[in-house]
Amino acid sequence: MRDKSIQAKGICKRYKSLFGSAKTVLKGISLDVDKGEIFGLLGPNGSGKTTLISIFSTLIYPEEGSLSILGLNARRDRGEIRKIINISTAKPNFPWSLTVRENLIHYGMLYGLYGSNLKRTVEDQIDAFELGEYRDVKFENLSTGLKQRLSLAKSMLNRPRILFLDEPTTGLDPDMSARTRDLIQRIHEEEEISVIISTHYMPEAELLCDRIAFLRKGEVAALDTPQNLKNHLGLGEKVRITYRGQADLESLRRMEGVLGINSKPGMMIWPVEKEAGGQADGKVEILIDRHEDSLDRILKSFQDGRILDIDIEEPDLEDVFIELAR
Amino acid sequence: MNWRGEMNKYLASAYKNWVISRRNVFTLFELFFWPLVNLLSIGLLTRFLMVDESMVSFLLVGSIALTILQVAQMDVAYVLLFDMWSKSIKNTFIAPVHSRHLIFGSLFFGIMRGSVVFAILASVSFYLFGFKFQAGGFIPPLIFLAGVFAMAAIIGITVCISILTFGQKADVAAWSLSGLILLFSGIYYPVDVLPPFLQAVARAIPLTYFLEYYRSVFIPGPHHLIVGLSLAALYLLLGLILFDRAIDRARRTGILLWLSE
Repeated sequence: MRDKSIQAKGICKRYKSLFGSAKTVLKGISLDVDKGEIFGLLGPNGSGKTTLISIFSTLIYPEEGSLSILGLNARRDRGEIRKIINISTAKPNFPWSLTVRENLIHYGMLYGLYGSNLKRTVEDQIDAFELGEYRDVKFENLSTGLKQRLSLAKSMLNRPRILFLDEPTTGLDPDMSARTRDLIQRIHEEEEISVIISTHYMPEAELLCDRIAFLRKGEVAALDTPQNLKNHLGLGEKVRITYRGQADLESLRRMEGVLGINSKPGMMIWPVEKEAGGQADGKVEILIDRHEDSLDRILKSFQDGRILDIDIEEPDLEDVFIELAR
Repeated sequence: MNWRGEMNKYLASAYKNWVISRRNVFTLFELFFWPLVNLLSIGLLTRFLMVDESMVSFLLVGSIALTILQVAQMDVAYVLLFDMWSKSIKNTFIAPVHSRHLIFGSLFFGIMRGSVVFAILASVSFYLFGFKFQAGGFIPPLIFLAGVFAMAAIIGITVCISILTFGQKADVAAWSLSGLILLFSGIYYPVDVLPPFLQAVARAIPLTYFLEYYRSVFIPGPHHLIVGLSLAALYLLLGLILFDRAIDRARRTGILLWLSE
């Protein structure tokens, strides 16, 4: 069994209003994160991702449940845990009138860095996150992307063994998002740390995460590798065939391995699109369970015509997200 | 962690307050403009009323106490106010720091600023109004300053507790609490002139005793410095315990998250 970075069992969290009404945000979350793993937390808005990351990082406390961080008890050893974790949050905020360098010095001091070690660590982070040009720029004058990079730089000041990233690419343009993902991968590889990342972006989760937990209404709806999530949910693969001439679409509908024909209106069969040389061109989109097994049989349905183009598309996490968020 | 690392955890808050203060034009108003306006107003009033030298000292001690207390208590409160205004409070409380690091670090900066203000006001009041702050030697003003700074820490902690308990709206406390304390502790008058129930309140405020002690240098009379020192120590200890509890509560209620959004 692999060593665990995080072991959470039955984590519950309720927020109470001033007038006494309570809103349950997390309902008995149980999950483990392996050491050195990039673990994703996905879910729609309000599913509890930020609350769960905040509990894992000991910023807030749960009402119920047990939590162990790198073998330390999260109730008893909070001080020790905070020395070896760090967080970069969505919409990063720092004291406005402090420059990039001053912010890093301030937070470095809060982590107990001093003297030449503090100076070297701050300079290392400025270099690592390509902030040299902006070292003397006040936080309030930084772009969203630079603020995010500063937040990541701050999160590495204490060389954490677990890094929490709460929606690290929210609000960034595509180029900056890609660069941020590269940075995260580089941090993970170079520092050999566990990374727990919450995100709305499925391609990001698919690209970065070893495993993913889908949260829905404060519960874990699914937890597995991205590939297994796609396989186990039976979302199937899309085969798009453009053909000329005849196709036996009726037998195609009844074929073993073909999923859900006509189950989603507008998805399965296009009407004849155009006339070309006296013969009709048609397009059909077929949802199948595994194309390796059923593709041969599907192609036989088109033996009376001519196949012009085949396109096979695997389901992506977006599909999984939509399925699980229902 | 060795002592230098631990020391830097304290100094982190002082560093932040220092950088923010030196970039803020209102710092000049806090350090020079308002203190001098207050001091000159009271000093000129004593001229108009033609009070004797000891009464001038009595009133100027109140004016100086008011200014130093406000400057220093704001520095302690700023430790959370700056974080709350910039919505960065999450970053502070995810770090391995205790309430004592935050409070004493910012108090250290408050003492520095308060001492500068005292030096300016003592000099100006000497040249313009003949007030000799060291009339009884250097010990009385040092004890007086220590008392004012202790009171500033207590008020600052109370403001921090209010922020963590009531959220953003609590910053009103930062601006008004010291005014109330000064009113009750006899800033320009002996507490005997207060209604009886307010005298009881005044006797529960350490600053009352430090004012009486320092004024006794200029107008000989009884004072109860030990009571003031004891109360200050008790309130400081109690404040730190309650601040820890407020942090703990803010983590349980999730207010730390809301203050960052």
